[in-house]
Amino acid sequence: MSVAVVDVEALVKSFGKARALDGLDLRVEQGQVHGFLGPNGAGKSTTIRVLLGLLKPDSGRVRLLGGDPWRDVVDLHRRLAYVPGDVSLWPGMTGGEAIDLLGSLRGGLDEQRRAELVERFELDPTKRGRQYSKGNRQKVAIVAALASQVELLVLDEPTSGLDPLMENVFQEVVGEAKQRGTTVLLSSHILAEVETLADRVSIIRDGKTVRTGTLADLRGSTRTAIHAVTERTPGTEVLAALGEVRLDGEHLTATVACDRVGAAMTALVGCGITSLTVEPPSLESLFLSLYGDEEDTLR
Amino acid sequence: MSAVTGTAPLLRTSLKHEGRLIAPWVVLATALSASSVLVYPWVFPTVHDRQGLAATIGANPALGLIFGPANDLTTADGFNAWRCLALGGFLAALGAVFTVVRATRGAEDSGQAELLASGVLGRGARLLTGVAMGLVGSLALGVVSALVTVACGGGWQASFLLAATFTATGWMFTAVAAVAAQLGSDARTATSMAVGTLGVLFVLRGFADSIDAPAWTVWANPLGWTTKTQPATVDNWWPLALTVVFTALVLVAAFALGARRDFGQGAIPPKPGPARGTTRSVWALALRLNRGPVITWTGAFVLLGVVFGYFATSVTDLFSSDSAIQDVLAAGAATPEALVSAFLVTVLSLVGIIAAVPGVQTMLKVRTEETEDRVEPLIATATTRPRYYAANVALAFAGPTVYVLVAGTVVAALASRADLGVTFGDVLVQAAATVPAVWTVVAVAVAVVGARPKVALAAWLGVLASFVLTLLGPTFGLADWVLAISPFWHVPNTAAANPGLTGLAGITLVTAVFLAIGFAGFRRRDLAR
Repeated sequence: MSVAVVDVEALVKSFGKARALDGLDLRVEQGQVHGFLGPNGAGKSTTIRVLLGLLKPDSGRVRLLGGDPWRDVVDLHRRLAYVPGDVSLWPGMTGGEAIDLLGSLRGGLDEQRRAELVERFELDPTKRGRQYSKGNRQKVAIVAALASQVELLVLDEPTSGLDPLMENVFQEVVGEAKQRGTTVLLSSHILAEVETLADRVSIIRDGKTVRTGTLADLRGSTRTAIHAVTERTPGTEVLAALGEVRLDGEHLTATVACDRVGAAMTALVGCGITSLTVEPPSLESLFLSLYGDEEDTLR
Repeated sequence: MSAVTGTAPLLRTSLKHEGRLIAPWVVLATALSASSVLVYPWVFPTVHDRQGLAATIGANPALGLIFGPANDLTTADGFNAWRCLALGGFLAALGAVFTVVRATRGAEDSGQAELLASGVLGRGARLLTGVAMGLVGSLALGVVSALVTVACGGGWQASFLLAATFTATGWMFTAVAAVAAQLGSDARTATSMAVGTLGVLFVLRGFADSIDAPAWTVWANPLGWTTKTQPATVDNWWPLALTVVFTALVLVAAFALGARRDFGQGAIPPKPGPARGTTRSVWALALRLNRGPVITWTGAFVLLGVVFGYFATSVTDLFSSDSAIQDVLAAGAATPEALVSAFLVTVLSLVGIIAAVPGVQTMLKVRTEETEDRVEPLIATATTRPRYYAANVALAFAGPTVYVLVAGTVVAALASRADLGVTFGDVLVQAAATVPAVWTVVAVAVAVVGARPKVALAAWLGVLASFVLTLLGPTFGLADWVLAISPFWHVPNTAAANPGLTGLAGITLVTAVFLAIGFAGFRRRDLAR
């Protein structure tokens, strides 16, 4: 196992009676892009605020870059940059001024990268905060974060409000940051964004981690769907190799674990296949099931 | 379908949701007018007192600058007309400007107007709604103030004419604000333009009245027309017709401009700002965010110094007439010299209490920044919470210090020239001795915002307690231990033979405790919660 940049165990945080985080676990390895997924209100932003030392955890273990995020604020914050999901800028200050202020407070910006990012995101840095649209405010925060030399990027739904072109630019830029060896914690509720960037993902719901692993792991945990029309009605020994079977005469619909697809095929061949569709597991359905109802659809 | 379709429902909703924001202006103007007819007979009971007041005011050009000409101060109505005509109109105009801009340009800025503009709404309906709110609000201000003033003992004719000048000024600036909302491309610019116009006209009228300028300079100024009504003496109603014509013409211009412009755009495009920033530390940021208020308050304290300074020069005249003012201002001092220095202590304490207001505002700004999520990205950088808080606390302490010293310097310059037996240095030292009390009041806000920001209103407790106890306390004959709650009670009279400094040491200790609470709270609590 490589070094963990973020290491959270059994984190609990309540606001009054509402329990925002209820035993959350999160581990982000060095140099990886870690997708942090969950529906709205699952506790993503609360977790990030704890990691930034803005909120004090009620219980649990939180380590960030080897330090305590509540105690070692300055040391840790020199080594990370943050993009909030809903950027609020100073109304009278231009975007360029805001970038320079945030950069200076972090200990300086890479001038060349700043200029390049402003160019690539097509940001007008001379507009005042109150004149920017949501997407442009978001760009200001992204440029400020990515133009700094840091080890860890904490991005909380960073692309909300960006158009598809800019979202592409964002993915390129985060990809480049990863190449430089930067660790990225990318929170999102959009699967596609995480799918292209992330090495590993953690899915949370109601303040708890419900799944964590590589995308392949998660794919593996879902089942392949099989639709077949056979010459003979499959016998019980054939059906034993399948799950969630629905049999309507010769029409068979069933699911099977990913590593059991071969065995299922062998069994079905014996029944004489006239038509066959095998659907690979879709992450979409995994997420929908995780976001939506209980976890029973997975088992 | 016409350009104003949909005005009626829009006006109803706007009045329902924003109508209560007009109420404070109505209350202020009414309190101003009603209080003069209530207080006057009590403070100036005899004809002799009233003639003394007229002489004092006549000899003080600074007062004319703000209040305009005093025509007849021997009646309560005449006193009311002098005290309130300019200020009441000023308040009505400010209220009208804020109301109109908020309902027109402000709604466009927030995007709320766009949603409605996509519905069945004529192009002119939004502006007409804002204008209607300004006109109705100003009318309400006039009617309420007139009725309450009459109920408090004002004359019918004088009170209603005076209140009519408030309404007329409100109407004129409803129209001015309507034009400004078409020219400026955001609410802030529009408000600055309209309030700037008001400020310039107000100062010009003040000068025209106090330096015997040619008559046309008064007639050329719309604010001058209301002074020509001369309530309680001549009772001239006809100059008000001029204000109605002015309102109508300017409104026509506003609607013509409004029909020609694009939604969300203005005649004056916003200027691009710098692409690179020079604000690179939290200290610079605190100053940057408070730049506007700092400049405005500095100007205000120069003015305050001028007014109090001139007031100080006429203090011996005021004291020579035996009246209740002696109790209020001097709080029981004996010899004339002691009276003068006690008076200066009181005046500088008043300056100090007022100076604490921007200090508290600076601290409350920290809370606003926090709830608007602008502190979070700063704390996510290598900035510690104590450092961020310290930058703002430093400004909240330094600002009022500068204001007190600025006003103190002006008062010192005026008072030392007036043969009162006080030197420039005496007054300035007294001003400096007032500063620690200001700090204590501001420190209350530091503690509240740091430790218990949910009750942010409690930040004003220090200002409120100081104001009530220092200014009203002595007239109620409160016990010393009650008065001692106000930090200003502990400010020594530095002109005394042996000024005690233990009081200052005591309140400084209290300041330190409040600061410790504030910093500890801000370091420990969850942010933006």
